[in-house]
Amino acid sequence: MTDKTPAVSLHGVTKRFGEEVVAVDNVDLQIQDGEFFSLLGPSGCGKTTTLRMIAGLEFPTEGSIRIFDEEMGLRPPNKRPVNTVFQSYALFPHMNVSENVGFGLKMQKVDGSEVRRRVGEAIDLVRLTGMERRSSKELSGGEQQRVALARALVNRPKVLLLDEPLGALDLKLRQTMQLELKDIQHEVGITFVYVTHDQGEALTMSDRIGVMNQGRLAQVGSAEDVYESPENLFVAGFVGEMCLLPAVVTEPGSVRLQSGEVIWARTSSPKGAEVTLTIRPEKLHIYSAASEAPPHRNALKGSIVRQTFYGEAMVYEVQIGLADLIEVRVENSPRIRRWSMGDEVVIDFHPEAAMALGE
Amino acid sequence: MTLLDERKTAEDEEVNPRLERRARRQESWRGFFHAAPAYVYLTFFFVLPLLIIFVFSFASRSNTGKPLLENWNLDSWTRLADPLVRTIAVRSLTMAIANTVLCLLIAYPFAYWIATRARQRTRTLLLIAVLIPFWSNFLVRTYAWRMLLDSDGYITQLGQLTGLWERMLFTQPAVFIGLVYGYLPFMILPLYAALERMDWSLIEAGRDLYASGSKAFRRITLPLSKPGIIAGSILVFIPSLGAYVTPDILGGAKTNLLGNLIVTQFQAARNWPFGSALSGVILIVMLVATMLYFRTGGRTI
Amino acid sequence: MTTLHQGAAARPGVDRSLAIFGWLVFAFLYLPILVVVVFSFSSSESVGKWGGFSLRWYEQMLKNEQILNALENSVVVALISTAVATVIGTAAALSLDRYRRWVGRGAFDGLLYLPIIIPDVTMAVMLLLWFTSTGVIPLGRGSITLAHIAFNISFVAIVVRARLAHMDPAMEDAAADLYANRWQAFRRVTLPLIMPGVLGGALLALTLSLDDVVITSFVQGPGSTTLPVYVFGLIRRTVTPVINAVSTLMIVVSMVLVLASLTIQNRTGRRTESKGTDQ
Repeated sequence: MTDKTPAVSLHGVTKRFGEEVVAVDNVDLQIQDGEFFSLLGPSGCGKTTTLRMIAGLEFPTEGSIRIFDEEMGLRPPNKRPVNTVFQSYALFPHMNVSENVGFGLKMQKVDGSEVRRRVGEAIDLVRLTGMERRSSKELSGGEQQRVALARALVNRPKVLLLDEPLGALDLKLRQTMQLELKDIQHEVGITFVYVTHDQGEALTMSDRIGVMNQGRLAQVGSAEDVYESPENLFVAGFVGEMCLLPAVVTEPGSVRLQSGEVIWARTSSPKGAEVTLTIRPEKLHIYSAASEAPPHRNALKGSIVRQTFYGEAMVYEVQIGLADLIEVRVENSPRIRRWSMGDEVVIDFHPEAAMALGE
Repeated sequence: MTLLDERKTAEDEEVNPRLERRARRQESWRGFFHAAPAYVYLTFFFVLPLLIIFVFSFASRSNTGKPLLENWNLDSWTRLADPLVRTIAVRSLTMAIANTVLCLLIAYPFAYWIATRARQRTRTLLLIAVLIPFWSNFLVRTYAWRMLLDSDGYITQLGQLTGLWERMLFTQPAVFIGLVYGYLPFMILPLYAALERMDWSLIEAGRDLYASGSKAFRRITLPLSKPGIIAGSILVFIPSLGAYVTPDILGGAKTNLLGNLIVTQFQAARNWPFGSALSGVILIVMLVATMLYFRTGGRTI
Repeated sequence: MTTLHQGAAARPGVDRSLAIFGWLVFAFLYLPILVVVVFSFSSSESVGKWGGFSLRWYEQMLKNEQILNALENSVVVALISTAVATVIGTAAALSLDRYRRWVGRGAFDGLLYLPIIIPDVTMAVMLLLWFTSTGVIPLGRGSITLAHIAFNISFVAIVVRARLAHMDPAMEDAAADLYANRWQAFRRVTLPLIMPGVLGGALLALTLSLDDVVITSFVQGPGSTTLPVYVFGLIRRTVTPVINAVSTLMIVVSMVLVLASLTIQNRTGRRTESKGTDQ
């Protein structure tokens, strides 16, 4: 991490609004050059405020923000080497597409022919060729989003900040744009800082993710880290589907559930600690009897109490003993066996798939 | 100036991380800077003149009628207790209150009617139709009634025919009609603004929860349009308390109101201190009413 | 805003009586104005009698030196006071809408409303006292213009502020993010977007200035009488049909101004309503 200058580095950044509200609470973060970094969290977790502080639209109450090792201090947004794609796009309604895109270059007093050339390139990059003269309010949501992107990228910022840029689009368009954004980032090769509340979006697009909760960074890591090895219950619950079961550590590597069953699980908590067992529903398998299940794995007896059809998958809720409910997700493939309510089953999972997290 | 500031900030930032306070101070200065021209202008041509009224109300009069700023006294203020002045003040107050109430009674159903038209286009057209008299010259609109109520006009003839009134012009009812006519648009517009902004699905929700039509109106529409009612009432009450043009044109010499009394002190009577004291009374009423208005959290004038 | 207000107009009976009442109010608002306009074309010497169509009162109006002089004063005062008040009032609106915290903001907010509700007579009296007791500015066109600016600032500020409140603040963020300094952001983004409000405020100021009677009559000097003040003097002395003609002229001017204002608000309003902001 130290061999390269980070693109953005936050050091002890805190933002208070008034006396009471702490929007961002002592955040330390390094975003590497060329990285697609997502800030993920529920609404009100401080992710947008963090982004706005990097952009210079807000100033931290405490702490320092550096962009390529340059202290930003009170530097206003127009003097920072970053550009932003706003959540509402904020296209200027009194300008057409190319005027919008060329605005930043004009403000930087870039030569007229150069402006035209770069605006053309940027419009091609976001595939809006031929729409230069359109008024910005005649555009669809997806087109507006592309203009906003071109308007920011045309300035060749060192860092591009994106504030929930796909939030206003419908699902299909959003998926297309996710891939396109990723491609564009690859093409221009600059650092993207992407704010989103959609964990799926963050997982598919990001090199690294910073999960935020109540103004603090709950975990920073690669998409896989965050998904497979959540460091705390918040991340476990927020990223992806997760079954959470209360348990007690009996000895290193095994825990006892409320129902009394003892199973193997990854844990770092000491013996006797109260923990929460986390299991991803898609990592569980269902068998009709213990003998069918592969050996040396966890097996729990239970009965099916609910089933929900999701199209590509089926989710069964399995009651274990009296207290515990576990969700099992089964891919909807032709050879898979269907279960019905009340079936007595055995659910099976690898010890690695179960992880016990302390408070 | 900002460039230098920033460079300095960037340097000592590590030592003093309280950036935000400085940013806020800069914002504060910018806000003040934008307001400064208006602030200065209104100080010189509104606030100070407003205060000078009170200064002159304690002044004395020379023989020629010129106000003298020596011999401070309370004469002008004690004269307010004069029965004649009291009669005029009570008459003005009654007139202003009656005018406000009547304007409200006419304007509310009217504004409600426009605001509940289903089509945006209809609402806009009706609103334009209200705006035209609102923007038209107040003097001309008052003069129109002078014509209508003239001694050989139809309204006078109608009164004589039915025996209800002998003449209208230069009577108190004429002044009252003129005031209602003059200030009605000032009541309609804020009411319309409040009603048009309203979320009508609330009424539907109310009706859905078994409120009768009138109950839904009383419990939902009326409270929600309160800011408009208050704003409109202030906009009608205060100017009509100091009305001068209307009583002057329609009331003749008979109907004396505070406004005319003040003007007389500055013209014929040449008693500026007393005129100042009278204006001071109106100012105090105005300041109290405005403060009450801001206290209720209103902003829609 | 939804287009259907069914909840409000649930009962047809209530609705019909509201409609009848509504049209009666319109009749009340318009009939007197119409009477003035109609009789301005009457040849009769008596103001309220129809004596056949004629333009003689308009002819008389145009030949009257005093009326023309007063008209000139009105126009000069209105144009200057509007221009100054528009600039100062717009800046004041910006200070209140865009800057949330500065020393004296609350007092300023309240102060701006006072010139709107203060009775004309009171403002007239206090400005007369001020001009005569300070003696710096002689009574005349200058003092009238200064007085008009004082009440127009507030009206402009309120109209512009309403427009600013509807503007997406992200617009200015975006301009700053795209390397515009504060002045460029204002000139290129904010000003074009609030232009309908600025023009609307300016037209309102122009109308108010052209209409003012009481304040002007107090702070005027010899030869600086404006048209409404001159007409007011005429009405007080004697009513002649020339007043009908002048009144009609003033009504037409205000109608042109109100329609101009509405057209600007409407056309540019539609243009600047950003589609991107509704989510």
